[in-house]
Amino acid sequence: MLVLAGGGLLMLLVVLAVAAPLYAGDPEALDPFIRLQPPSGEHWLGTDNLGRDVLARTIYGARISLIVGLMSAFLAAIAGLTIGIIAGYLRSFDNLIMRVMDALMSIPTFLLAIALISLTGPGIGILIFAVALPETPSVSRLVRSVVLSVRERPYVQAAICGGARLPKVMLRHILPSTFAALMVQSATVCASAIMTEAGLSFLGVGVPPEIPSWGNMIASSRLYLATAPLTVLAPGVFLAITVLAVNLLGDGLRDLFDPRSRSR
Amino acid sequence: MTISRRNMMKVGLAAGAALSLPSVLRAQTAPSDARTVRWVPDGILQVFDPLVSTANETSQHSLAIYDTLFALDSKGLPQPQMVEKWGLSDDKKTYTFHLREGQAFHDGSPVTAADCVASVRRWGQADAGGKVIMESVKDISKNDDRTFTITLTQPLPLLIPSLASAAGLYLAVMREKDASRPVTEQVTANIGSGPFKFNEALARPGASFVYDRNENYVPRKEAPDGFAGGKVVNVDRVIWNYLADQQTAFAALQAGEVDLVQAPASDLYPAIESDPNLELEIMNKAGTNMFLRLNCLQPPFNNVKARQAMLHLIDQEAVMRAAGFDPKYINPVTSIFGRTTPYSNDENTGWYKKGGDLEGAKQLFQEAGYAGEKVVVLQTSDWPAASNAALYLANTLRKIGVNAELASSDWSGFTARRSNKGPVEDGGWSIFISDWSDSKFGNPLDIPALLANGDDAWYGWPKNDEYEALRAKWGDVDTLQERQALAREMQRLSWDFVGTVMLGHYVSPVARRKSLTGLVSVLSVVYPMWNMQKA
Amino acid sequence: MCTYILRRMVSAIAVMAMVGIFIFVLLRLAPGDPAAIMAGRNATAEAIAGIREQLGLNEPLPVQFMLWVSSMLHGDFGTSIFSGRPVFELVLQRLEPTLSLSLMTLALSVTLGVSLGVLAAWRAGGLLDRTLTLFATLGYSVPVFVVGYFLVYLLAIGAGWLPVQGYVQIENGLGGWFAHLVLPTVTLSLPYIALIARITRASMLEVLSEDYMRTAAAKGASAYAMLVHHALKNAGVPILTVVGLSFAYLIGGVVLTETVFNIPGVGRMVVDAVNSRDYPIIQSVLIMVSGLYVLINLAVDLAYTLIDPRIRY
Repeated sequence: MLVLAGGGLLMLLVVLAVAAPLYAGDPEALDPFIRLQPPSGEHWLGTDNLGRDVLARTIYGARISLIVGLMSAFLAAIAGLTIGIIAGYLRSFDNLIMRVMDALMSIPTFLLAIALISLTGPGIGILIFAVALPETPSVSRLVRSVVLSVRERPYVQAAICGGARLPKVMLRHILPSTFAALMVQSATVCASAIMTEAGLSFLGVGVPPEIPSWGNMIASSRLYLATAPLTVLAPGVFLAITVLAVNLLGDGLRDLFDPRSRSR
Repeated sequence: MTISRRNMMKVGLAAGAALSLPSVLRAQTAPSDARTVRWVPDGILQVFDPLVSTANETSQHSLAIYDTLFALDSKGLPQPQMVEKWGLSDDKKTYTFHLREGQAFHDGSPVTAADCVASVRRWGQADAGGKVIMESVKDISKNDDRTFTITLTQPLPLLIPSLASAAGLYLAVMREKDASRPVTEQVTANIGSGPFKFNEALARPGASFVYDRNENYVPRKEAPDGFAGGKVVNVDRVIWNYLADQQTAFAALQAGEVDLVQAPASDLYPAIESDPNLELEIMNKAGTNMFLRLNCLQPPFNNVKARQAMLHLIDQEAVMRAAGFDPKYINPVTSIFGRTTPYSNDENTGWYKKGGDLEGAKQLFQEAGYAGEKVVVLQTSDWPAASNAALYLANTLRKIGVNAELASSDWSGFTARRSNKGPVEDGGWSIFISDWSDSKFGNPLDIPALLANGDDAWYGWPKNDEYEALRAKWGDVDTLQERQALAREMQRLSWDFVGTVMLGHYVSPVARRKSLTGLVSVLSVVYPMWNMQKA
Repeated sequence: MCTYILRRMVSAIAVMAMVGIFIFVLLRLAPGDPAAIMAGRNATAEAIAGIREQLGLNEPLPVQFMLWVSSMLHGDFGTSIFSGRPVFELVLQRLEPTLSLSLMTLALSVTLGVSLGVLAAWRAGGLLDRTLTLFATLGYSVPVFVVGYFLVYLLAIGAGWLPVQGYVQIENGLGGWFAHLVLPTVTLSLPYIALIARITRASMLEVLSEDYMRTAAAKGASAYAMLVHHALKNAGVPILTVVGLSFAYLIGGVVLTETVFNIPGVGRMVVDAVNSRDYPIIQSVLIMVSGLYVLINLAVDLAYTLIDPRIRY
């Protein structure tokens, strides 16, 4: 039920974002002579501080925010999975790997992101990396703990004794068991990535100002909250809906994979 | 669980209190609220030495705690400040300066001629205009405790305006022992003879700084007039409270938690004007010019036609509006000498109609043989006005078929990149935006944007020998009329080789509570803090 | 137990060393030059070169690194490139606001988050539960600075009850200190209340379905006794874990809150230092924060034994 609601909402947003060029206007067309205008027939949600169409930018913003959210969740999941399995399976590396993960985890997310972005200047690629990197340790810890418990189970032990090669054991037995926990964790990462992006834009180190992203729009329009509230509200509402969808999906997945926690 | 949490918190709070114990010892009796002005500066004061940094905050800090030999009045003319009287020999080569009585540094030691000599020497090593003057200086020496002499090899009419810091770095008079440090080494003693004392104990670098009234300061008798005249301090304390977020600064002003915001975002003007307790006031009568620099070493702007194309392309009003300035406070600027200086003129400005001549610009780019090379526009993410102007610029360039690309970075990354002389593929650049107080455009010896000596010039490195020959004459010209004629000549050449393109002139008012009065207006972005009064 | 603590301490040092190397390399790879920033917007290349020489930034990187390491080993955290003051002194100035804000936030979010979570689990599926889910989602999805502006507009400017911004040190009056912290704490707490409430609810539900709970109910234990004495105690471990882990996130949130409410804390200091490439500040603060993080998590692990006697080290 929750999975359907969350997943459906998310799919709808993805479709809206992908199809943006078919129906939304040009998000980058600017005209300094029509700054901060109220809604009109031409600009349904008014214009922003460079005279750009707020509606078009909000719709295109879905692309950036979803890419940032989904990609960083994906990246953190893949990296966390690999590291977690290696640490959980090859015990000799375990201590070293987990201390590196501790080190990464102990640097505050925002400060690490700001330092990373100072490397290349603001951009979508570095932003995804900067969001995914600090999330990797928590994913890898989770995977590691699952691996540790799974590898002791009789059927896995049996497979190993029976001479199954390592990749096969991973693929057959360990991956499926970690999948559930991974999905739930990824949903959290995705939601927090979108919020982190907004916070970084507020501090002036998010995606470059010309690229429409929700975080960027909210941050750069915050001075107009009183005079042109739609410049903040439009991306804000979409942001909330997206985070809601992702959270619902995460909750639903948890219920699905772990029936015990299902709400009654 | 809650219990262990609570215990942990107690420990934490105790630790916090213990750590801040030293500040208990430092705590002093704070002056009453009515005699304290809370001031939100434009940026963080990071460098304390006026000769190390061109940053406005550094100059403003220095203006408060140091005094100067001469100071500019509200018309931009130099008037004696620390100097009581001065004389010039008949051959116009020997200047004698006599200091006012009763001047002392904040540590109690009297201001002597030796301090002045050392301070002028140090300034002469750091300031571009100072260096030019030093070339003609035979000797600077002290006669007695209150008299010193500057002897020149040739007459130098620019000497007095330069000593008044008309254009370059702030000539602050420091103690001899501070002023004898090398110019690359920061003076952080912060001890001057100015009307305010720097409160070292209450300094919170990156957050707030406290300036206390110097009760031993003897002001001049004249009424305040620009930086000149009597610097009478009517409050006990001025607190600089740096607020990184504009919205917060505005809210704090509304709530009366601060008295003045030095550079409110122009989009907040309407809200400020509609609040009955607040007022906008223009302290800087000269305003500021925003301009762009073109990389003259790399294609396409190594071709003069492409640079001229930019003159035709820029619609100053559109750029300034895109940058976010209030239409009421912007003006076009078409002279390389700015809008308000005595040398501003209209020579060779036929290219300016209103700008925005897309066809003309396109034509010139074609004549320059432009073949789709990448044009990199540097964008600074932590300076919204310039960032938005860069965005608009790139957008406009794309409209005429130029392959413009924005390179966004923080200010740090930006400063690193703009010093790269190489092609854009190797981390170079094509265009960047900067700004500079209009009043400073009156001195081509000093302002980096007015140099055209190739590799030695400011970023962009324009080269024009004929122009440089004229600029070399600037210091030798005697009268205002002759200098104005020279300025026209220089501008004629300048708008042909185009090292700098003007983007517009803006005036930026301060926002203050109506209870704060008596602000002194100046021709500068650096604001005096004396004379103000709190009701 | 002692050997356990010792082992954790050793690994804490290893973690801090790794953070140190990582940050050093990261910062020096980033383009930017403190000398250029120092010299100001319109400085000449010549002036910048002079300052760089003076600051010792022309030394080769390995030499700079060794210099830094050796001074760190002597307990010297270096001096700020810009203000010329010892980093340790600067951090001390900034520590009190950040600690006050973080601890107040922890206190508020743990108290409210746990209570709300327990109540929601008690009446799972009821109105409170559903309201809480909605609130939790909002707590996650509204940026901190928007919440901050809203609260300032409503309570500070509109009603005039609380100050808009700033920080008052504890020794200058407890009342002023508290008043200045109310809005920032509420703003920063929202997502954490949401997070802790959700975790509490989930782990409570898990415990409530255990057999011994049914036994307790059958024996006629009161709802309060069941929830607090039996369930909450057993659900404590995952809640505590989340609280410990959120520390790093908390510091991240502190940066934004400090900016919105103009609180001169450590977070703001690091952001400014990154912007101006004040390397000694960034390096030292991040090492200190990571050390603190490791210590807090050690404390959390030790606290497990208090809640759950089954856990032994």
